[in-house]
Amino acid sequence: MSNKREREKRREQRLQEETKVDAGERRTRLLQFGAGAVFLVIVAVVVLIVVNSGGSSGGDAQNLKEVSAVDSLVSGVPQNGMVLGKTDAKVELIEFGDLQCPVCKAYSEEILPQVIENKVDSGEARIVFKNFTIIGEQSAPAGAAALAAGEQGRGWNYLELFYRNQGEENSGYADDEFLTAVAKGSGVKDIAKWNQERTGKKLTGEVEKTTEQAQTFGFTGTPSFAIKGPNTKGIELLGSLSTPEEFEQAIDAAG
Amino acid sequence: MIAMKFPTEARLRRIIAFVAALGIGVATYITIADSGGGAPTCLAGGGGCETVANSSYSHIAGVNVAVFGIVGYVLLLVSAFFANDLARFGGFAVALGGFGFSVYLTYLEIFKIEAICQWCVASAVLMTILFLLNATRLIGYAGTTTAAVPEEA
Repeated sequence: MSNKREREKRREQRLQEETKVDAGERRTRLLQFGAGAVFLVIVAVVVLIVVNSGGSSGGDAQNLKEVSAVDSLVSGVPQNGMVLGKTDAKVELIEFGDLQCPVCKAYSEEILPQVIENKVDSGEARIVFKNFTIIGEQSAPAGAAALAAGEQGRGWNYLELFYRNQGEENSGYADDEFLTAVAKGSGVKDIAKWNQERTGKKLTGEVEKTTEQAQTFGFTGTPSFAIKGPNTKGIELLGSLSTPEEFEQAIDAAG
Repeated sequence: MIAMKFPTEARLRRIIAFVAALGIGVATYITIADSGGGAPTCLAGGGGCETVANSSYSHIAGVNVAVFGIVGYVLLLVSAFFANDLARFGGFAVALGGFGFSVYLTYLEIFKIEAICQWCVASAVLMTILFLLNATRLIGYAGTTTAAVPEEA
């Protein structure tokens, strides 16, 4: 009896010691993993910073990208000024944007193409771009340049091509040379007329007017959206929806 | 042998839970303020928050970076409720990742966006505190059982 108890006691002791050794090993391993993780994170942060500190792509007048991608996105869709889609579409989606705004670029590349494909191509909705210039000095001239392209039926080509070649905010890339390169790339035929109109009172005044309108709506950032249709009470504010599906639902609800 | 005086694990866990809860609050505020098309309001005026929220760096693959913050803080809060090695190491790893991410975001604010948003700074400070707390917890208690006393180093 006492032998058995002793054996059990010894067994318990041995187990405890083994657990202690295990725990020690586990501790060492965990701390090693921890140190490895610290090292990896330091490397990751350094790499991210180095990658970001390089010159940003875009904003290069000599080397416009994605001219054909823009063509295929908007070709075949009717355009009138800055309106994309059929004029008799039931629902009007209004985008207040700034050509220098990187979030607007992201919307134009990742969210709006699906909306255009599903709702604008089908004639259910049209999208109107209005300038809400908040980023910096070059925002308003860029906005007016887009409107001037719109006068020649190339407003949305201009907008989309500008976004796809957008440079870093307020880095000064959106100069006359860049604006002209985008106009040529987006198929504006009469560059002399475009040049005259983009600096003319009519279009620069329009940019100011729509910016004021956005402020009246209480918008503080770009892009901000509003919608108008048979089921809305005048213009209803949408703010910044974040998925194409949300836009499609808003269009369905408004029509 | 140098006996290091660590705070008890229970105490560390309580502080971690508290700071993580604060972090959830800050990150949630940023997410909600940004989702309506607006931006977080800077307390002392100035447009820093708006500039930061409107910059291209505020979203990754269309997701507001603050959402990643919420996820991180929630995981840290959860890790504070368990006293095992998984929670200790998991908490440390999440806090380390969050800390690294915060360093990167702060770099972007200062050098790339050239604007500071207090809410982001607040989150970075909370994440730094959480990293230190979780590192202390891991070093002090890795490999111990629930009721363990601090290891001697």
